[in-house]
Amino acid sequence: MAPKRSILSALQATSMVESKPVLPAEILASILDYLPVSDMIRFAKTSRRMREMVYDDTRWVARLKSMGCWDELEARRRFEDAMKRKRETMKRASIAGQSPVSARGANTTIFDAALEAERRNKAIEEAAQPPDIRVDGFETLSINAPPSKSPFEDPEALLEVLKNVRSIRGHARQEYGKIYGALAPFYFDLVQAKSHTDPILFRVFRDPERQAQMLANLHTFTKSDWAQGWREREEKLSSMSHVFESAVLREFEQGYEFWDVDGRMKRYAHVLHALNGGTPAIDLFISKHPIFNDREVLANSMDCVNQAARDEITLEPSQKFFDTLSKKLGEQNAVMTRIFPNPATVFWSLVDKVREDIIMDYVTPLLDETHERHLASYLKAASGLFEQCFAFAKLLDAPAGSEEKLEEKLEDRAKETALKVFEPHLDLYLQEELDFFTKHAEREVGNWDQKLSEQDATVESFYMKNFNRQADKNDFLSSFKKVVMMPVTVLPNIPLSSPFGGGKPAPASAANSSSRRPVSITGTPGSSRPQTPGLGTSSERTGTPLPTEAPPTDELKAKAALMASRLEGIKTLFSIEVALDLVHSAKTSLGRAAVFMRLGGQAGGEAREQCEAIFVVLLKILGQSHIKHGFTKAVDHLSYYNPREVSDHNQAGVAPLVTFIELVNVGDLISQMIDVFFDQQMLAPKIADRNDFLDPAGLAKKKFEQMLDESVAAGLNKGIDVLMDEVEYLCATIQLPTDYNPLASSNEKGISQGPDIGPTQTAKRIVELVSSHTNMLVGSTEKTMLDVFNGEVGLRLFTAICKHIKRQRISTDGAIKLIADMNLYFDYIRTLKNNDLQAYFKALRELSQIYLIDAKHAKEMATIIADGDRFGGIFRAEEVYEFAERRADWYQVKRDVERAMYGLECSVM
Amino acid sequence: MSADGNTKIKLQSNDNAFIELDRQVAERSILIKHMLEDLGEAALGQTIPIPNVTEPVLRKVVEWCEHHRNDPPSTADEESDNRKKTTEIEEWDQKFMQVDQEMLFEIILASNYLDIKPLLDVGCKTVANMIKGKSPEEIRKTFNITNDFTPEEEEQIRRENEWAEDR
Repeated sequence: MAPKRSILSALQATSMVESKPVLPAEILASILDYLPVSDMIRFAKTSRRMREMVYDDTRWVARLKSMGCWDELEARRRFEDAMKRKRETMKRASIAGQSPVSARGANTTIFDAALEAERRNKAIEEAAQPPDIRVDGFETLSINAPPSKSPFEDPEALLEVLKNVRSIRGHARQEYGKIYGALAPFYFDLVQAKSHTDPILFRVFRDPERQAQMLANLHTFTKSDWAQGWREREEKLSSMSHVFESAVLREFEQGYEFWDVDGRMKRYAHVLHALNGGTPAIDLFISKHPIFNDREVLANSMDCVNQAARDEITLEPSQKFFDTLSKKLGEQNAVMTRIFPNPATVFWSLVDKVREDIIMDYVTPLLDETHERHLASYLKAASGLFEQCFAFAKLLDAPAGSEEKLEEKLEDRAKETALKVFEPHLDLYLQEELDFFTKHAEREVGNWDQKLSEQDATVESFYMKNFNRQADKNDFLSSFKKVVMMPVTVLPNIPLSSPFGGGKPAPASAANSSSRRPVSITGTPGSSRPQTPGLGTSSERTGTPLPTEAPPTDELKAKAALMASRLEGIKTLFSIEVALDLVHSAKTSLGRAAVFMRLGGQAGGEAREQCEAIFVVLLKILGQSHIKHGFTKAVDHLSYYNPREVSDHNQAGVAPLVTFIELVNVGDLISQMIDVFFDQQMLAPKIADRNDFLDPAGLAKKKFEQMLDESVAAGLNKGIDVLMDEVEYLCATIQLPTDYNPLASSNEKGISQGPDIGPTQTAKRIVELVSSHTNMLVGSTEKTMLDVFNGEVGLRLFTAICKHIKRQRISTDGAIKLIADMNLYFDYIRTLKNNDLQAYFKALRELSQIYLIDAKHAKEMATIIADGDRFGGIFRAEEVYEFAERRADWYQVKRDVERAMYGLECSVM
Repeated sequence: MSADGNTKIKLQSNDNAFIELDRQVAERSILIKHMLEDLGEAALGQTIPIPNVTEPVLRKVVEWCEHHRNDPPSTADEESDNRKKTTEIEEWDQKFMQVDQEMLFEIILASNYLDIKPLLDVGCKTVANMIKGKSPEEIRKTFNITNDFTPEEEEQIRRENEWAEDR
């Protein structure tokens, strides 16, 4: 860039103009990309540099790749093998060089020498090997020279050329050359051909199989042609092969019409497969398949509704339908294997089509119809059909000799088929199932509540008899478990189901009535009524939709009824029958919905969620509306209880409290029932996950248990109050003033004195009362809660007794009785196995001895009063003093005692 | 950034000619585009020297850019794509490329320098078309290549590429 142009620079400029600008290598390289192969090779002939550029391996690898003929893994393996071999040769060479030295150095060891010799021999052998092992990267180019004879002389080799390509680094050009040499002549000839009879291809290869093979090869080959005009060439090729294809397809169709399976159909199906996978043949085969017009297969799905009773559905016709279909498809399977080279693909396409046209047509109207008619049968139909469909899909077996044989592959297929059929119904079904269950449960509880409110809610005169609660509960639970573990069979597998089902209600009601009998004898006639709705509906339910389950259910029913009759006392609060019924219908719903879980994936997940939702609803209704309600009511009864208003105190318990404790028992039973249910129905089929603490079902269960515990706790709290009220009432009413002070009031040696040194009537009654209640709880609540309850009862009892003693006046003679009472209490408390409590009552026992001390020994009495250790720290001296004041002769001894205690003479008062 | 296509850019060629053009047009060159982006507003008033390109070539390039000012920007993966399949040269470009070979090469070099990928592609395709069907000797002449093969080498290369000969 000279500012002023000298002549020299001008000269230079002219010379530069004359010399043509040279394009840099990178631009040349990109120009090469646009060149057709033949021109590229000519370009290579211009100079060494250009040859390098053209021969560049990546250029040819790209072309091989575009045809799908390059296997990178194979290339790498070959390369590594080559490297290894190279290294070995190097090593061997170096060893060979060293060996004389090492042999000389270690000639003492014969083995080494032998080894060495062997190795050397091998090396020699290797070297002597023909050069064919060097194919890897050192192959001489002459080997790759094309066959000198014209390709048309060896047409067979041409067909296979694409299959014989090897992926060798550094030799992509040679490999591509082989393909090009074989295919390019046909390719360019075909592209330039005027009509479809012209191309040399159709003259070299006479039979359609080879023509198809060659056309397929050309299709692959055209992918590596990216020079200008490729689009026209490809289109030309496509139209040519299209003409060919339709001709072959016509032949195939004719063969099809004559059902010439092993002849024309087989031949042309193979031809089409070789050409481009044979999709048109498959489509044709399927669309014209006779199965779609087969009267035998095309059943009317309404049979399922029409053959059954009103509002019912029988799934036998549908089972027959699926069986027939399965059989037909099995037959087709064999036929397809004969016709098609890839029967599996064809088979699954056919299955798809069958699914769409036949199964969907069968299932959809049936479900729509039942949905309109009757919800219960809809739910049953949906689940049942799905089960059948799934079983059908699982039975489908891909034709032999394909990779589809794999188990999981088939499983996936089955899932897919079933899913596709039921996808449109799934959401609706799951929703309906949940709604159905919710409604049913709510109605059930509602019915029961209504029945109850019609009655006098306070009829609780009757309550439990002595029976082995624990054993009964276990018995009941074990039969419950048995029922729950029964597999849900929505399908009427037993053909006899319908008559069987019809006969079912009879034994159920028999069990029903027998269980009701004791009730009507013992209780008021009206009290048996609330049972009727619960039992009645449940036996109906079990009788119809679940015929196969009837026997164990009945066994359970009978037990439940027995239980209920025993638990008559709490029937007004909540009913185990209702709970059982709810659990049962939940199980049915779950069983139906869980079938869909097998679908896996999103649909399966939805089904699983819905199953959990059903469980949650079950717990909610059972817990919130039923049990909690009952508990609230029981607690209310408890709080209204006033011992003074109850005339009869001779019973061993406080009526509402007994009721409540029974309630706790039943609550516990239901809770255990739910637990079993959760284990069997939710955990076993993997609906819920125990380890997932966010799982809604698990949460709901926890909440339910918590609710139960809280209710129990709240009730027990009230219960203790009531119990203590009763205790105090007893103390106040039964304890005669003369009990502890016979001298004071009954000078004339009345009532029972002298030899009678046992505990008083009052103490006996109290112990009886308290112990009967605490015993009732054993085994029905948690250990910890029981401990707390017992502790509380003990403490309160202690306070009550203290209070009671302070109200009495006790003479030295009466002290014997008092001590006997205290011993009785202590004995009772010892049965509770609570160390803290024992200390209290031990103190009480010690305390009672101060009344025994004769007035003369006031000093000793003072020592005892002041001796805190004696009472285990329970009473302070002041408190003991207060007790001492209750001595009948207190005013006589007071001075002495005080003097002894405080060591001075003073009067407090 | 190129929204205000009216902003003018001034280019200065190798031989001190000045060419004024819209910024949008100038930004067909990725080189100029990046430069403007890097320098910001300050560069707008200044002349951009294009030291490797002479005026006639620069004018030719600018002409192409004017015509293609509204083309969508080339995608990043075009690199791998054009290796796969060659698209035809559109008619206007074909006419545009009807210049003598020297000019054609100059345009290719300039577009390479200025980083105008589509123009470079068109140029390469044109050259490829030019070579098509030519003998090695003719190609040597076109590209100013000297033959450095020995006769043996020539024979060998012919032999190992026999497969590509006839068509």
